[in-house]
Amino acid sequence: MSLRELKALLLFLMAIGAAAYFGGGATFASFSAETTNPGSAVASGTLTMSDQVNSTTACLSAGSTAANNVNPACAAVLTLTNVAPGVYGGVAQVTVQNTGSIDASKFYFWAPQVNATLNAALTNGNSVTSLTVTALEGTVTSGDSIVVNYGTHTQTFVANAAASGGATSISVTSLAANFSYPIGTIVSDTSSNTSATNTDCYDVKTTTPGTTGASKGTDLNFNPVTGNPFCGAALLFVQETTGAKNYCWLGKGSSPEAASGMCSAPISVNLTSALSTGGAITSLPVTPALNGNVASGDSIVVSSGSNTQTFTASAAASFGATSISVSSLTPNFAYPTTSTVTDSTTLSALNPDQTDTITNFDTAHNTVGKIQLFPVTANGTVDNAAPVELSHFNNGTYSRIFQVGVYLPAPSGINQNPLQGLQSTFGITWHIDQ
Amino acid sequence: MFTVLYRHVHASAGPTSSTWRLKKILASLIAIGALSSVTATGTLALLSSQASNARSSVASGTLTFDNTVNTGTACYSYSGPSSPGNVNTSCQALITSSTLNYPGVAITPVKVTITNDGSIGAAALSVYMPSCTAGPTPGAPSPGGADPCAASGAQFYIQETTSSGTPTTCWFPSAAGACTFVASSLHVFAINANSMTSALTLGSGPAHGQARYFQIGMELPSTASNALQGEEAVFGLTWHIST
Repeated sequence: MSLRELKALLLFLMAIGAAAYFGGGATFASFSAETTNPGSAVASGTLTMSDQVNSTTACLSAGSTAANNVNPACAAVLTLTNVAPGVYGGVAQVTVQNTGSIDASKFYFWAPQVNATLNAALTNGNSVTSLTVTALEGTVTSGDSIVVNYGTHTQTFVANAAASGGATSISVTSLAANFSYPIGTIVSDTSSNTSATNTDCYDVKTTTPGTTGASKGTDLNFNPVTGNPFCGAALLFVQETTGAKNYCWLGKGSSPEAASGMCSAPISVNLTSALSTGGAITSLPVTPALNGNVASGDSIVVSSGSNTQTFTASAAASFGATSISVSSLTPNFAYPTTSTVTDSTTLSALNPDQTDTITNFDTAHNTVGKIQLFPVTANGTVDNAAPVELSHFNNGTYSRIFQVGVYLPAPSGINQNPLQGLQSTFGITWHIDQ
Repeated sequence: MFTVLYRHVHASAGPTSSTWRLKKILASLIAIGALSSVTATGTLALLSSQASNARSSVASGTLTFDNTVNTGTACYSYSGPSSPGNVNTSCQALITSSTLNYPGVAITPVKVTITNDGSIGAAALSVYMPSCTAGPTPGAPSPGGADPCAASGAQFYIQETTSSGTPTTCWFPSAAGACTFVASSLHVFAINANSMTSALTLGSGPAHGQARYFQIGMELPSTASNALQGEEAVFGLTWHIST
């Protein structure tokens, strides 16, 4: 068909259309009917989360002033003081819940970058040479990229001087602010977490003694903080215990994953009731509930003063258990309820460990090496093809529980005096995606 | 589909014709379509949510102690040089050569108080004598030439007491209760407890904030020969605590 013919055809069709349009009302039958569905609305769902440490108030992702569903300042997981090598450190329970109406297909945790929040607002258009921040978590190196983020607004500055962990300002190369960033804006060092010297975890000397009147870190001259040695020695583990199913996500026991799903997690508990020398026992009742793991075959040491006895665990026991099954043995002393119960096998396994440190968590599992939290289907087993990793609120598994612990190992033959009187500070980030 | 249509128009029309305008419209549509397909994943924002548990902290305690001789000034383990650290080799001497010994007459026992001023309890306390060296007493007119550090030389003990000085345990020479002088005891201690690995174990503790009290006794044996006249024994005691 030529162009001329095509035009003629189109004009013809237009004429028919016009006639139909203007004459239609009179042409069709006089009966008619009509309905309207007014007021249709489309509402978006929500994808929000809460993060609760032990039984403290849940922290909401949308609860920060950063206006981007990112809350950088939830409660510290652990605040441990007076830690000694080879002695039980501490553990805390973190419950992460999807409080939104939309399923999360991805659920991660990772080590945050060196970070803080603005403690003084920036004004759009004004030159910025220094960022006033809350105590900096981690160390900034001159030349690092410092990103401020509030809602959909973001801007990258360049640090022109180093800033130590805990510092409250970051000196940056002069740049006009592209938005009026308010107090609470998230500040991140996107150049961090590449080596032990620039991790989110940072060391300082303690300024208060572990016990009243005792010496403290700043009294000592043999405990330098250069290179964050305490971050590089303290071991970190994260074990999931949702629905009584164990999975060691981080720490000794995670790579390769232990069949039991249990991390090597020390215990330190007391006896619920005194032991009697009158006969053999097969169970040690413990209180508080178990704050670590026991593997079958582990050596369980009960001590009271100069009295001590080693039992052998006859079955595994994990977080929350109130007793430890042991091979039949008669107590060699009437151990009172104040007796301590520890697992020497676990301590022996952890003492030489130089891999599962907080430093290595920061450098290996930051925003690049984040750990995806597939649903746990059985002890030590996950479903890595599951379409949903954290269901929407009040549906299915919308809440998952993690045990986060730290232990300072006592490696044989190594003088750990340089680790005296130091404090490591670090964070953990939890993240869900639609 | 857009690409095929574009090629057809291009093959049949010139730049000034109406088909050229159609071609430009279609090309624009192709561009828009291509741009849409390329940027779609970035444009369609996924929802996300994030929370960080910030500022967890883990602080180590301290294991330090001080050593006080009689009523002297406390000498702190951490007041020594930074390397190796927590080792102070400059604490006060127990006895000086001005304290003269005579056969069969014990010197006034020297009190040594070991106080754990750290925040962590000590699991073990030990003591050793790195060396014992004999020499003439400074100013002595005619040294006898014998060695008080050798067998049949000076006698020595380490007595633990209560804070008020009541004997509790004689750690060396080992005995229950109060110590007594035993022949050649300085020599025996000096050769058998002369390093950290051979140190005399003094049991556990002290716990943080607690102290333990010792008395060091010295005497020349009543049978000492004239050869021990004008001679001195120079020695130190090193105290060590560990977790």
